[in-house]
Amino acid sequence: MAKHVLTGIPVSSGVAIGKAFFLNKNRLSQAPRQTIDEGLVRQEQQRLGQAFTLASQELERIRGNVPKELQEHGALIDSYLMILRDKKLGDSAGEYIKRLRINAEWALEKAVADVEQMFNAIDDEYIRARMQDVRLVTQRVMDQFAGQENGAMPVGHRVILMAHDLTAADTIELEVDKIMAFATAMGGKTSHAGILARSLQIPAIVGVEELEQSITDNSIVILDGFNGRILIQPTEDELNKYTGLQYRFEDYQRSLTRVCHLPGETRDGYRVDVFANIELFEEVTSVLDNGGEGIGLYRTEYNYMNRSTFPTEDELTEIYTDLATIVAPNKVVIRTLDLGADKLSSFGALEEANPAMGLRAVRFCMAHKDIFRTQLRAILRAGTQGHVSIMFPMISGLQELKEIKAFYFQIKEELRKEGTAYNPDIPLGIMIEVPAAVLVADSLAREVDFFSIGTNDLIQYCLGIDRTNKHVDYLYQPLHPAIVTSIKSVIDSAHRAGIEVSVCGEMAADPFCIPILMGMQVDSISLTPQAIPGIKRIIRQVPMEDCKVLLKEVLESESVAGNNVLVKEMIFRRFPDELMFYTSLLDGD
Amino acid sequence: MCDAVVQEKAISVQNEFGLHARPAAQIAQEAQKFSSVIHIGMQGREIDAKSILDILSLAAPRGTDLSLKAEGCDAYEAVQRIARLFEERFGEGR
Repeated sequence: MAKHVLTGIPVSSGVAIGKAFFLNKNRLSQAPRQTIDEGLVRQEQQRLGQAFTLASQELERIRGNVPKELQEHGALIDSYLMILRDKKLGDSAGEYIKRLRINAEWALEKAVADVEQMFNAIDDEYIRARMQDVRLVTQRVMDQFAGQENGAMPVGHRVILMAHDLTAADTIELEVDKIMAFATAMGGKTSHAGILARSLQIPAIVGVEELEQSITDNSIVILDGFNGRILIQPTEDELNKYTGLQYRFEDYQRSLTRVCHLPGETRDGYRVDVFANIELFEEVTSVLDNGGEGIGLYRTEYNYMNRSTFPTEDELTEIYTDLATIVAPNKVVIRTLDLGADKLSSFGALEEANPAMGLRAVRFCMAHKDIFRTQLRAILRAGTQGHVSIMFPMISGLQELKEIKAFYFQIKEELRKEGTAYNPDIPLGIMIEVPAAVLVADSLAREVDFFSIGTNDLIQYCLGIDRTNKHVDYLYQPLHPAIVTSIKSVIDSAHRAGIEVSVCGEMAADPFCIPILMGMQVDSISLTPQAIPGIKRIIRQVPMEDCKVLLKEVLESESVAGNNVLVKEMIFRRFPDELMFYTSLLDGD
Repeated sequence: MCDAVVQEKAISVQNEFGLHARPAAQIAQEAQKFSSVIHIGMQGREIDAKSILDILSLAAPRGTDLSLKAEGCDAYEAVQRIARLFEERFGEGR
């Protein structure tokens, strides 16, 4: 066993073995607080001004060294510079020195506290988070007071970088080609270090407890980005094991790059179309890069959130048209608004004891037809470009679906009468995610052109558990016999009616669930773009025959545990890499 | 010396993500090029257009109506230039 093992949150996969190097380990020291004589006020103000100038020059130097591929970060540095030069900081701190006769460090702390107070009053999480930028910038000034060098890493070899936290500006200064991996004491799943590590494709762990206390510069460590572990002073055996894992992962990644642009087709010729789920227009690039064959689920909620007015028809038409055009000749499935009144700030919160079962998705849209009309008209108009489909979420019965279709036809008629250009033949589909829809899938299938099974909600509604509730999340079981049977029955209903069926929940992105869905002969899947290469690799390597055998066994088994074992055995036999490199839904969090 | 003038203009936030860090930086940067005192008004509140922190504190999302007011020798040009940033959606495209 290694001398010591630390754990944290893995945010970027991979393994690194090397020497630890700490960035700014001494940064945490408290600034001194002193009162000063009146005669020293001028001198203290000059010291303050000088520290600001030096910090500003340093940032400008960093700005000048930002490589082209990181221009996003460059723009961030520009905003840091603006903050640094803001009179709310420098001028205000200067005033404090004069008025309270305190030293520059203390005065700056007070100026920052004022800004913080202003920011705390803001009802916008993003803007509130900018307070971090203010703190980061002032830390740079504080470092100047202390005469601390905040410069580049004095290293000649590649290191595993350790830091209390890594902010955008810190990461700019790093010579990225010298870094094998990151670990930080602070941070969570969405922190900047993780985003950077994934873009650089190096392993990273954040939120590591006792990182600073346990590791010293130059100690040999193994950083395991799969499991979020750091092994300090590993044994010979551990080194051998992880070196092997490292090579294997590199091979695996190369194989992903090879397959991701090939079609999702099994060795025995069975075809599964692999589409992407997206929320933002900007994600299209990532869909294409990862080999997505179109957009199987475009979530439209984003354009309605965090704003005071609803989007106009022209605005939505423009966005949908752009999307349809850029994805053409591939298709885009636009899901109509899937929000509850609780998510629309402009709407005033509705008192609902249980929003998940409340006025949301199509129920909300049918209660607010003006909002629904705007969106449907925009989709119909955008449908003149590319290949657009419409999908209605949260359908629970035939009557509801017929009413929605009647409204949709009424809108088409409006457009026709006005002489506005629109596509009269857009394919119509529905999400199957309410258990009632599973049971009446045969009659629903006769009304639409396709189904898409939303497994996340289906599992929650079917098993009656809220997955984000820590007390019951252990019951979130994708391979519960009730779930497997439900999905199978929906796929069979669709095929009996001669329509296509897709799966768009997280199950579609889970390497361990995909062979079962294939065994059910799902026509397509839709998943987060980043997961596409890994899933395609499985589809291309597993014969349909094996999927069918596995499905039969799973359907005959009566236990969740039994199903999980069956699936893992198959994956172990055929895809040992996946077993190593993925955390499955089946394992829980 | 020159004649100080007061210039005002109603503007609205049109870029997708509202006045987040980058647009705020652009506004402050532009405003600092002028000698006029420049204010942005929102719902009865007035802030200094030369301060990125003040602008951020508005937390103005897309669709917000604002008033731009400058006072000084170059007030006219200042208002024109800053209003143009809003109209061009800070170069965000949408």
